[in-house]
Amino acid sequence: MKGRVLVVDDDTALAEMIGIVLRSEGFEPAFCEDGDSALGAFRSTQPDLVLLDLMLPGKDGYEVCRQIRAESGVPIVMLTAKSDTVDVVLGLEAGADDYISKPFKPKELVARVRARLRRSDEPAPEHLAIGDLTIDVPGHRVARDGEPISLTPLEFDLLVALARKPWQVFTREVLLEKVWGYRHAADTRLVNVHVQRLRSKIEHDPEKPEIVVTVRGVGYKAGATTT
Amino acid sequence: MSRAGRRGTRLTSVWRLVRARWLRRAGSALRWWRSSLQVRVLTITLVIGLVALGLVFAYVGQRTAEGLFKERLAQVLAESARSTSQAQDTFTYSTAATPAEAQQLLSDVTTAQRTGGSGSRDVFLLRAPGQTTSMSGGAAVTAPELVGLISPELKAALTDGKQHWQSVGRPTSADAAADGTGAPVLDAPGAIGPVVPAVVVGQEVSVPVVGTYQMFFLYPLDAEQRRLDFLLGTLALAAGALVLLLAATTWLVTRQTVSPVRRAAQVAERLANGHLTERLPERGEDEMATLARSFNEMAASLQDQIRRLEDLSALQRRFVSDVSHELRTPLTTVRMAGEMIYAARDSFEPAVKRSAELLSTQLDRFEDLLADLLEISRFDAGAATLDAEGRDVREVVLRVVDNVAPLAARKGSWLAIDLPESRAVADIDPRRVERICRNLLVNAIEHAEGSDVEVRVAADASAVAVVVRDRGIGMTPDQVAHVFDRFWRADPARARTTGGTGLGLAIAMEDARLHGGWLEAWGRPGRGASFRLTLPRRAGMTLTSSPLDLVPAEPERAPATPSVRAPGTDPAALPQWGAEPDRQEVP
Repeated sequence: MKGRVLVVDDDTALAEMIGIVLRSEGFEPAFCEDGDSALGAFRSTQPDLVLLDLMLPGKDGYEVCRQIRAESGVPIVMLTAKSDTVDVVLGLEAGADDYISKPFKPKELVARVRARLRRSDEPAPEHLAIGDLTIDVPGHRVARDGEPISLTPLEFDLLVALARKPWQVFTREVLLEKVWGYRHAADTRLVNVHVQRLRSKIEHDPEKPEIVVTVRGVGYKAGATTT
Repeated sequence: MSRAGRRGTRLTSVWRLVRARWLRRAGSALRWWRSSLQVRVLTITLVIGLVALGLVFAYVGQRTAEGLFKERLAQVLAESARSTSQAQDTFTYSTAATPAEAQQLLSDVTTAQRTGGSGSRDVFLLRAPGQTTSMSGGAAVTAPELVGLISPELKAALTDGKQHWQSVGRPTSADAAADGTGAPVLDAPGAIGPVVPAVVVGQEVSVPVVGTYQMFFLYPLDAEQRRLDFLLGTLALAAGALVLLLAATTWLVTRQTVSPVRRAAQVAERLANGHLTERLPERGEDEMATLARSFNEMAASLQDQIRRLEDLSALQRRFVSDVSHELRTPLTTVRMAGEMIYAARDSFEPAVKRSAELLSTQLDRFEDLLADLLEISRFDAGAATLDAEGRDVREVVLRVVDNVAPLAARKGSWLAIDLPESRAVADIDPRRVERICRNLLVNAIEHAEGSDVEVRVAADASAVAVVVRDRGIGMTPDQVAHVFDRFWRADPARARTTGGTGLGLAIAMEDARLHGGWLEAWGRPGRGASFRLTLPRRAGMTLTSSPLDLVPAEPERAPATPSVRAPGTDPAALPQWGAEPDRQEVP
């Protein structure tokens, strides 16, 4: 449950405060103050989670996010002072799993970090099928015709949530609770953006999705199993 | 009588019809006159041209007629004087001795003189009035029917022995003056044929045996009349051609002036519609080119101004974004530090402990205020966008009710929820609609003073409405007018308990506007207040009506309830489905 958290923020006071809070909860924080050295810090610390401020000196947060995502599926939570649609969506599209709007409470921060570090430790070997994909749940592997498809843990969780109950239509709120761990209604754009990202990796034609299907006015459901 | 009446009514109706048609025609002509500069200039030019030409025409005609007449008169006078003296010579040297011979002489002379002058003339030899001689040779005339043209005044004037003349109108038909009354033919022109102007010239002659006679010559002036008519005809033709030329010139000139103006108007309209790059062609050096140049300069300056405003707006948006970042980051640190201190408050002295509590609650308030301020400035910068999706408004309302239920319970207010049976789906931004509903509900609970708060949702084909109604202190119409103003408070002295930021309703209004919806308020002192949110079902639709009434139909219902129970204590007495204050469900 405890893990190493890389805090990328140029505001040293805030970074220190976050460090105090994380340490008091038993996490092990590491710090980085600008965008240019963020990737190096990421490689050297090998964190379990990244807390990333979007506005950074040097490379901005979106760019750092893309670089980390390019080499790792490690959970990234954005710290944003901009709750404007465009900024949040840009961050999510750059590969972030979740975001926290400033100002936030310590409890909120810890809850978000915990939710992203939570591992589904179901011991039973579970194999699911969705569309023409096979999913090895404990092994965190998705494959089409034996060819593995690389997904981030969050995308994997989203796909598994849909595949476990293929007869059910999930509203965005339910998915937020199941996958992101939000207990109260939150920003449903999180779901929309990640469904798009997931589709771009697993669908034959992301414009005409067959695996993650939209049910207009309600939410999403798993497509018919073809294998 | 009745038939006459019928005819009368028919006539009046026909008259009305005609009058209406005329008025319509006059109306359209007036519109044409008003709307077209070209028509106006042309009409004025034509009217002035016609009046001027008419005056010239009258003057020239008058002068020509006068000149022609004078010339002919001089000729006629000289000729008749010559003829008279010739006749006198004939009489003087005649050998006539008897009245019969004298009579013969008279008729010979008249016949001879008739053809003696220029053109045709009639000759009259009449006995002078006042003759005392008993002997009479009678009269000798070439046109007996025209004797009546010679007036007694002329005859009387001849007694002085000199030559006299008079203008008369000569009838052309033969039987014209044959009645013999001697009345001047000019007096009755309607009874006879066309009259030509003529001149009568007379002088006395003495005839042997029979005494003094008066000799008259009647010269018709029809040749002169014809010349005058021809001249005037030619003149009128020339004038007509001139007027047509004038009209054509005016039309062309005004068109040259008006068409650039029209083009400028068209371009101005396109500019007004947002096509800022539209310009007028600049050709030549004349006034029209100056107009085009000034117009284009104006358009360029407008475009420049608008671009600068757009830049400013972008700058402001940027500023809001930057300020939000700059303010929020330290606030986050303070906030987290405050929480840490608050969590450890039990280990402090009482004064420090209370300070930690105050710090924590006021940080909450500061955070709310900052969030609302940033939201409002985002609206002002035009940076607010609508993330619309088809959602059931009932669900949104229920979620809000869940959230505010603890507050209602604290305040002792009952919440009564009335939802429609079927789904009330509309294209809404759930985050914003939720915020509107929360603001309305919190506001209602705050002002309800422990009385019921009703929430009603209804939908029709084009709109979904939410009405939030309380029966608290209410508002005056003057307060209703300000209720959506920023930082406005109905009563500044009123204790602030739930600590709203004063921006809630203003933000709700902006949110409603962003949806193309309505947010309206109603209130009466002592009777409570009512807020209605109406949202179009599809984004972009224009609202025309709301499925719910804003003003409650109170008077019918009010007397029954308060007398039965104390308000807010018996859910069963509520007309709608009532709920426990801390738990609500769809019925």
